[in-house]
Amino acid sequence: MLLEVKNLHKEFGGVLANADISFELKAGEIVGLIGPNGAGKTTLFNCIAGYYKPTSGKVFFDGKDITGWPAHRVAKVGIARTFQVMKIMPTLTVEENIMIGAFCRTGDRQVARREAQKILELVDLMQEAKAYPPELPIAIQKRIELARALATRPKLLMLDEVAAGLNPLETKEIIQTLQKIKKERDLSLLLTEHVMEFIMTISERVIVMAAGRKIAEGVPGEVAKEKKVIEAYLGEKYAKGK
Amino acid sequence: MRAIVAVIKDTFSLADLPLSERIAFVAFLVFVFIFPWIVHSSYPRAVMINFLLFAMYGLGWNLIGGYGGQVDLGQAKNVGFGAYATALMITWWGVPFWVTVPVGIFIAVAESLAVAYPMFRLRGHYFAIATLCVALVWQQLFLFWDWTGGARGVELPIKPTPNFTFMEFGTVGYHYFIFGLFTAQFLFMNWLRKSKLGYELQAVRDNEDAAASLGINVTWTKVKAYLITAAMGAVGGSFYAVYHLYIDPRCVMHIDLTILIAMTAMVGGAGSIWGPIIGAALLIPLDMYLAALLGGKGFYGIDFIIYALIIMVIAAREPRGIWGIIERIRRKRLIHAAGGQKST
Ligand SMILES: Nc1ncnc2c1ncn2[C@@H]1O[C@H](COP(=O)(O)OP(=O)(O)OP(=O)(O)O)[C@@H](O)[C@H]1O
Ligand SMILES: [Mg+2]
Repeated sequence: MLLEVKNLHKEFGGVLANADISFELKAGEIVGLIGPNGAGKTTLFNCIAGYYKPTSGKVFFDGKDITGWPAHRVAKVGIARTFQVMKIMPTLTVEENIMIGAFCRTGDRQVARREAQKILELVDLMQEAKAYPPELPIAIQKRIELARALATRPKLLMLDEVAAGLNPLETKEIIQTLQKIKKERDLSLLLTEHVMEFIMTISERVIVMAAGRKIAEGVPGEVAKEKKVIEAYLGEKYAKGK
Repeated sequence: MRAIVAVIKDTFSLADLPLSERIAFVAFLVFVFIFPWIVHSSYPRAVMINFLLFAMYGLGWNLIGGYGGQVDLGQAKNVGFGAYATALMITWWGVPFWVTVPVGIFIAVAESLAVAYPMFRLRGHYFAIATLCVALVWQQLFLFWDWTGGARGVELPIKPTPNFTFMEFGTVGYHYFIFGLFTAQFLFMNWLRKSKLGYELQAVRDNEDAAASLGINVTWTKVKAYLITAAMGAVGGSFYAVYHLYIDPRCVMHIDLTILIAMTAMVGGAGSIWGPIIGAALLIPLDMYLAALLGGKGFYGIDFIIYALIIMVIAAREPRGIWGIIERIRRKRLIHAAGGQKST
């Protein structure tokens, strides 16, 4: 088992953002994490990646107990992530952004640069290598975050809404990129997304969360038919309608 | 072996910078080198020495303040540690200058390490204020203590002949002495900005969460930069002691010094290799001629009012200083040129 989350709780001053979450992820798997706004997906990512300390529960990665490890150690052990609200280094070029990811595994600038070159090619960013991220469109910036995470040579890549804000064509492109990356890099993926076509196309298994709890898990086609899942989503729409 | 060659290459190479900048820098070095031959009066020579000293201070501060983006307002304490280590060891025991330098560095680094961890729990203005407070405490202690000479300061023994043991010379000797130190520090910074630490620092400055997600230990990265900056300040302080042959807490530990150091880098352009040099070239002559012009007539402090105005203008117009303005203009031209090509 590559990733194992056991009875994870995360509380924010009385609000249970994650309640008793348990799930597993095998090496090489692509798992989708879905749920309405505020379900606790990002919180779960942050608990795994070391941005939040879980209130209780355990996180195991590659056989190691990484519960409560700081983010930089989690990255070193092989978990990379992107952020729902993008966090790009604005004063560094695209290439340098990616080189900093590569420095996770090397102290040598030339090695880091070569790695960055490879990844620029892999995610189709060669043209933008010398540009500064704020000058580029959102779809490209999302790719930069992805590329940067990839440069740390992770075993598990966690993507928090990489397709948010992209048009259908761009979404299709990022799916293709992800599939290409996965083949070349021997990766596992854990991703959250609101765009259902995206998550249902790419995931081999989905986990559904609502109000901090895991309410369903299974193959995409079947989970979508479950009553609890439909309720969670319809309930949300209904509330929004009001 | 290959690693050593790479380090040496990175130290001396400016290949990543535009040709115009490289030419300007070489011209600058030549100018500084021949300066004592073309300028013979003592005041401009003193201005030049002070400029080089502050360019050096600024380069050191630029690491934590510019590349690391942490506004450190305590650099004077490190200058003070270096200056006092050198001054006291020479006057008490007659120790050679070059032995006192590592001692000064050691004290500055050890003290900085002791205060770094609690300090880097703070961010932004809180960090700046904390560094300021620590430096003020040291200034007060050095004023209060007897063994450091208190407010009277320390007078170094004057040697009858110029010599390399205590690094005492005439003006021209000091000129080449500080020019050597400046060049050494420039080369070190030139290597450092391209090193892993250089990149990590910029990542931390730009976005701490993103940096951590890429395996960077944010606190430790800041601490490393803080310690290197401290060491650089101490070296400058050691030079100050043998150059002036007199120090007191007013001239090597004072908050004015801290602010002037930070300003050299910020006005010139924090986070660029040229920024501190440009800043020092502007501020130091301004400072010294203003002091000479107005100070004697009881206008003491007017220089600081002028600084405050410069800071406000820079902070409002271009936080990345004069170098930031130059880069912005250059980028606009570049984009313009690219656009022009497309339309034809
Ligand atoms: N740092 C925090 N402090 C307090 N409450 C928080 C914090 N982070 C998240 N929460 C709360 O936890 C709950 C889950 O939020 P989270 O961001 O994990 O949801 P999400 O599933 O990622 O939603 P979305 O789809 O909108 O991104 C929300 O009620 C949110 O307000
Ligand atoms: Mg979220």
